[in-house]
Formats: sequence, structure tokens, C-alpha cells
Amino acid sequence: MRGRIADVVVRSRRGAFHLVPLLAALLAAACGRDAGAPPAGGTVIVGMRADFGGFNPITNTDQYTDEIIKYALFTPLVQYDEDLEVRPYLAESWELLGDTGVVFRLRRDVRWHDGRPVTAEDVKFTFDLAKDPATASLIGSAYISEVARAEVVDSYTVRFDFVRPHAQALEDFWWAPVPRHLLEGVAPADLRNAPFNRNPVGSGPYRFVEWRANDRLVLERNPDFPEALGGPPALERLVFRVVPEPATLLTELLTGGLHVDIPVVPDQAARIEASPNLELFSFPSRTVYFIGWNTRREPFTDARVRRAMTLAIDRQEIIAALLEGYGRPAVSTIPPWSPLYPEAVQPLPYDPQRAAQLLDSAGWTDRNGDGIRENAAGRPLRFTLLSSDAPLNRNVVSVVQGQLRAVGVDAQVRALEFQTLLTQHRARDFDAVLSNWVLDNFQVASAPAALFHSRWADVPRSANRSSFANPRADSLIEAGAAETDPERAREIWAEFTELLNQEQPFTFMFWLDELAGASRAVRGVVMDPRGEFVSIADWSLGGPAAGNGR
Amino acid sequence: MGTFLLKRLLGAIPLLLGIATLIFFVLNLAPGDPTARFYSPAASPEVIEQLRRTYGLDQPIIVRYLAWLRAFVTGDFGASLAQGRPVMDIILDALPNTMILTGTSLVLVFLLGVAIGVFQAVRQHRWADRVLSVVALFFYSMPSFWLGLMLMLLFAYQAYQWGWPIALPPTGMTSIDYEFLSPAGKVWDRIEHMILPVTTLTLVLAAGIARYTRGQMLEVIRQDYIRTARAKGLPERTVILKHGLRNSLIPVITLLGLYLPFLFSGTVFVETIFAWPGMGREIVNAIAQRDYPLVMATTFLFSLLVVLGSLIADVLYAVADPRIRYD
Repeated sequence: MRGRIADVVVRSRRGAFHLVPLLAALLAAACGRDAGAPPAGGTVIVGMRADFGGFNPITNTDQYTDEIIKYALFTPLVQYDEDLEVRPYLAESWELLGDTGVVFRLRRDVRWHDGRPVTAEDVKFTFDLAKDPATASLIGSAYISEVARAEVVDSYTVRFDFVRPHAQALEDFWWAPVPRHLLEGVAPADLRNAPFNRNPVGSGPYRFVEWRANDRLVLERNPDFPEALGGPPALERLVFRVVPEPATLLTELLTGGLHVDIPVVPDQAARIEASPNLELFSFPSRTVYFIGWNTRREPFTDARVRRAMTLAIDRQEIIAALLEGYGRPAVSTIPPWSPLYPEAVQPLPYDPQRAAQLLDSAGWTDRNGDGIRENAAGRPLRFTLLSSDAPLNRNVVSVVQGQLRAVGVDAQVRALEFQTLLTQHRARDFDAVLSNWVLDNFQVASAPAALFHSRWADVPRSANRSSFANPRADSLIEAGAAETDPERAREIWAEFTELLNQEQPFTFMFWLDELAGASRAVRGVVMDPRGEFVSIADWSLGGPAAGNGR
Repeated sequence: MGTFLLKRLLGAIPLLLGIATLIFFVLNLAPGDPTARFYSPAASPEVIEQLRRTYGLDQPIIVRYLAWLRAFVTGDFGASLAQGRPVMDIILDALPNTMILTGTSLVLVFLLGVAIGVFQAVRQHRWADRVLSVVALFFYSMPSFWLGLMLMLLFAYQAYQWGWPIALPPTGMTSIDYEFLSPAGKVWDRIEHMILPVTTLTLVLAAGIARYTRGQMLEVIRQDYIRTARAKGLPERTVILKHGLRNSLIPVITLLGLYLPFLFSGTVFVETIFAWPGMGREIVNAIAQRDYPLVMATTFLFSLLVVLGSLIADVLYAVADPRIRYD
């Protein structure tokens, strides 16, 4: 540290130590602080709010764990490039069998970290386990639901057959195989508790070293990682520390105890931008916030009322005030950065006058002069708007409450503990809920199919909790899911989005922007919708602020 | 004494069992689903049902209770649903970390609290007494999470910004380069990481003990035997420390047992703020995720510690006061 960097560098505790007057001097005199030297390539320390889940690609559902699996520890069959186009990874090439299947040829130079080669057998083993309902695998539900079976052609060739022709079929394979030789003895129902998950043997650019629950995860560079996939990383070690309190996490970043802080909350962004040695990363996330209306309950059985709610809510103001501008208005579950995003369809504007007219025409007018609208039967336009007790969600519903009050709608807000909210939401025991949806992947059909298809409208644990049922929506969702031509698919999704705009089963609020802070000493950091860790194999330490990787 | 201990320990068994049963039902009847985090929202209802069957959540609560009870009395805490590893492993990882925090704090709370209390009593109504009273009240009324954040702001963040000779690490138990340190470096590294969390826990509780000791001491030094001690010419130090303190300590010692619950609930906040990987955080996460086996085991463990705490207090009571005999 040598005392010359004013604000933030990665703090050498040694620097502080030598200056501690009394006890330190004694201890230092006794033996000096360093017994050995830290590894040479440098260590990057990442601070995160929550601990990882088990590192098993089949059973994991945590987003950051998924990124570590896909970008650091394991090797998925395919990856996405920065334009969200599929590119080869573990599979060096593929051949589509019309629209009924695909054959992948695997690289021969990728090895498990115990030295065995990664083969087609591993891929098929992983596929079959993920298909088994006993594993309740996210790969099973989010990626390969349209893939019927896997077949090993030879050690490095694997063939998949599709259930039916469908859109974005290659993207079904953005998942990483697990080593068959280490997991074949585990019963599918026990896979979630396998010791492997806490001591994984992967195949990616980094190897697992140590994981202490709620404290830290340590990875090290894999010196044998094939050059064709980027070669061994520049960093010697990666350390992920768990720091649950956002204020503490920021303190660690500002005092140099961490290189990277994920995620940053919006009101901390300015503090990071103001610091010359830190860089603020903001990028569109895969999380969309919405208010779900219970279309089976008065007054939300009427699409005019739902549309009026959306017109009366100033989403731009919420983004500016509560997200410090780090968000963008949403119109559907198709994210603005998706290649299939329908540019032409605009979100409904903020227009309280039109909202008032719509409510008037739906028969809701203020009949007794108390400022709240009533219908002909004298029932006031009053409902309960639920949210979780997360600070952002509570703030959003308070602002919405005020905005709706201005058009004569009385929203009673209630914040519930998350699990309690989830139970009520699932049981359809609500008028309206502020909720969010995190896309599992970049396939646009999966979210509409789960949220808006009438097939799920009455199924208790399903995701269509607004009980939205619309035959035209059903046929558009099915057509979009089956359409293999991107141009035609974009048109179908534009039509679907237009329908959502009219029907408003949800009032789409905003796409959240993810925020992260990083020391400028860390080079090669790219963060985009693919995730915070998409370039983690290319991170390195350099420049004047580096050189003391602990 | 032995019979007394045995009786108390045996008496604790139904109590603990009752507590555990109560926790079981409250937890299981609360809305929520421990498997909720295991699947994406897009997962089909069949997959969700399958998962609930795997974890036995489709069984009636009485069946689940009996199954849990059977395992529990044989010492089988089961596996955590969220972490996918035995609950015992989690406890063995986290409990020592919490004990380091609470143990150190408990010792400091009493040393500091009693010392300040005695000092104040001796200087009653002098300015030092008044100042310390205000300071004690200040810390006594402060929530520990707020105090923790303020200490961190000052001794970690500002100390670093202003280039103070020592800036304390805000979080964790050890530095990232811990394994590369010399033995003495390791000792200092651990101490350095403990200063902020231990101070936070200690200040709040020591303030309470100081108030209490001061009150007791003031009562005792008005007693006749203190006047007698002074009259027979004993030095003031002996009067205060031997005759005064020993007698005023008896009720303070009972507080020891009663303070344990505060100390443990305090660790929940302190561990969260200072990213200390202990039991408090395990409990908070487990409850939020409805990780039933882990919540059961950890809350049971805390109630056990509380029961043991009050038992220790009773024993110490007898040690401090020869008039007390348990037969």
C-alpha cells in the first residue's frame, strides 16, 4: 500500500499492522507477519450478500451459483456471445437434424478436475438425471422440456431428439454436464444432498478449493484448461466472501477489503461512482417487477379496470425515485435486450385522465363525494395490494397507493414476510400482488407459457396466479414456442405483447438494472444480461492499484 | 449439590421437549414451503409435488411430528433442506464461531460492568459517577445493530479514510491471507477481527450490568457490617472489594444466567452486520427459508444453552454465598 493511494486500493492488512503502536510492535518483533507469500498470479476477492447453493448443475436453482457453475467451475455444451447468439463451448460443433433433433460433437481436450476426460456419457448421464422428476431439476424444467431423449453416438458425439419443433432450440443446451463417474452411485432423490455439491469436481477454468458456509468460497486457476476455450485464467485465486449487510459490504469495498461488490443497492451507486478507484457497473437484469391482478376477483375481472390501473401508475417516476434511474419500463416478460423483443409495442403511457375515463365507463364513479369511486351497487373501488417486506417492494407499493388515490382508487397496502406472501399468492388468496419474475434463461416462450397460458389458470401450485385465461393468448404462446424462424417469432411475440397491453393481467412495472462495484485494479470485467461473472475466466489484476493480491 | 444438579437436569428434559414441540408446531403451521427455493417459478406443479413428497411434506403434521420426535430423541437432527448436508455438520461449523463471540463478550461484560459499577458506587454523586451514568444509559438504550454500524463507520471506514494508525477490518473472522501469516500474525489477525463485534455485544450489556452493580453496591455499603469493617480499621480497598463487592455480587451473578438469552439474540444482529459465520445467521436464514430441520435444531440448541445458563447461575450463586445450600 505504501500510503500513496488516497481512496481505495485493496488494503494490505500488513500495512495497517506495522503501524499499530504497542501490541503490534511486540508481535511483529517476535516473528514478523508473513510466514509465506500469497500465490503469484493474484487473488481477486468478491463480496456477495448471500451464500451459494450446492455446486451441482442439476439441482441448483440459485442465480449466482448458476453463474459460477457455467462460467467458472463447469463447461456447458454451449455459451452465449455478447449478442446473445449461441456459440460452441464444450460442444465444438453441432448439426441440426432439420427441426427434430441435434447432434453435438464434443471437444476432446476438456477434462474433469480429477483428470478424466469429459465425454458424451457424462452429457447423457446429466440429461437423464435432469429429466428424472425425482431430481426436480431446473435444467429439466427450464431447458430440456422440449427435448425427448439423449443418445451416445460415440465417446465424443451425442444426439438429442426434440419432442416437437420449437423456437431457440440450440438454447436448450446451455447447461453443464456433471461427472458420471462421481455421481452414478447417488440415487436421484438424494442428489440434492450429495457431498459432491459441497466439494465439486468440475471441468471449467477454475477449480474448487474450499467452501466455508456463510463465510467464503475459494477457487483456483485450472492450469490445464484448453487454450481454445481461453486457456488457464490469469488469476491464481478467486475468493468469494459472504457479507449479508449491504452497508457493511460497501464499507469493505470502499476500504479495499474487496475488489468486487455484488449486488449494489441503487442508493449506494453514487458513492461508488464518486470514488476514483472504483468502477460502477450497471446492466439490464433478467428480473421484471409487476403487479399481478386477480382476474377472478372484482373489480379486476374487468380488463378496463386493469388497464386503468396501469394508466394511473407512473412507472417512470418510480424508476427515477426508487431505483435512482437504474431500471426501464416493462411491457411484457420479453426483456428489451432480447433479440426477439418487439420494438414496436410501447408500454401503456402514464395517463391518469384516460384512466379516469376508463373507470367511469366501467361504472366506477365517485357517487358519495368521499374521493373514492363506487360502482352502481355502492361498493367502493377498494382492494388490498400485497407485497413482500423487502424495502424496495414496500416502497413501490406505497408510491402506487398514492398514485392510485389520485384517480379515486383506494389501494390498501400490506407487506408480508416472503414465505407468507408466496403462500397467499399461490393459493390465489389476493386482490393484487407486487411480485417479480426472474428469467431462467433467454428463451422467450417459457415465461409467457408459465404465467399466462390458461392450462395453468386453475392449477393450484402453478405460476398463472392471476388465473388469466384467454384463447388468443394461448394460441399465440403456442405458436411463438413452436416458431423456428426468428423473424416470424418476433411478429408473434409482438402480437402477444399487444394483447397483454389490452388485457393487462399484469401491470408490468420495470426491468431492474443490476448494479455492481469493482476496483479498477481488476481488468477484463464485463457484466451484461449474461451475468456478473460472464467474463470471470478473463479477469486479471493489473495497473498501479494492484500488486498486493492477498 | 450433586442431587440438586441431577434434579435440575432431569427437570430440564420435559421443559426442553415442550419447547421443541412448541417450535415444531409453530414452525410447521406458519405459512411457507421449504422447497420453494428448489425450483424455478416456471417448474411444473408435478415437479413441485414430487419434491414435496421427497421431503415428506405431503404427510399430515402429526405424522411428521412423530417422525421428527423419533429421530430427535435418538440424536438425529436430519439434513438441512437448504444446504443439503447434515444439520450436525452445520452446527459444528457455526457454533464454535458463535461461542468465541459470546464467550469473550460474556467475560468482558462482567469484568467491565462490575468494575464500572463499583467505581461509580464509590464515587456516588461525584462528576465521574454522573458522566458514567449518562454513558451507561446511552449504550444501554442503543440497539446493537445501530451501535455496530456506527463503530464500523468510525473504526473501519473513517479510520481508513483519515489514515489512522489502525483501521479495523469490518467483516469476517480472518483475513483472506490468513493461511500465509506467521503464528503471531494469525493471533493478531483473529483479535483484530473480533474487536468490533465483541465491542458491540459488550458495550450494550455491560452498561446494564454497571447500572445494576452500582445500585447493589450502594445498598451494601450502607449496611452495618460495612461500618463495622471501617470501624475496625480495615483499609478502604479491603472494605470495598472484600466486604462490599462480594456481597453485592450475589444478585449480579444471577443476572449471568438471565443475560445469556440477550447475548444470543444479540449475536443474530452482530453476526449479520460483521459477516461473522455463526449460529445467529444460520437461524435467520433457516427461518426465512423454512428449513425445518435446521430451525428445529438451532432453536433447540439455543434453548438448551439458556436453560444451562440459568443452571450455572444457580450454582455460582451457591459459590458466592456460603449461606445458600442446595440439598
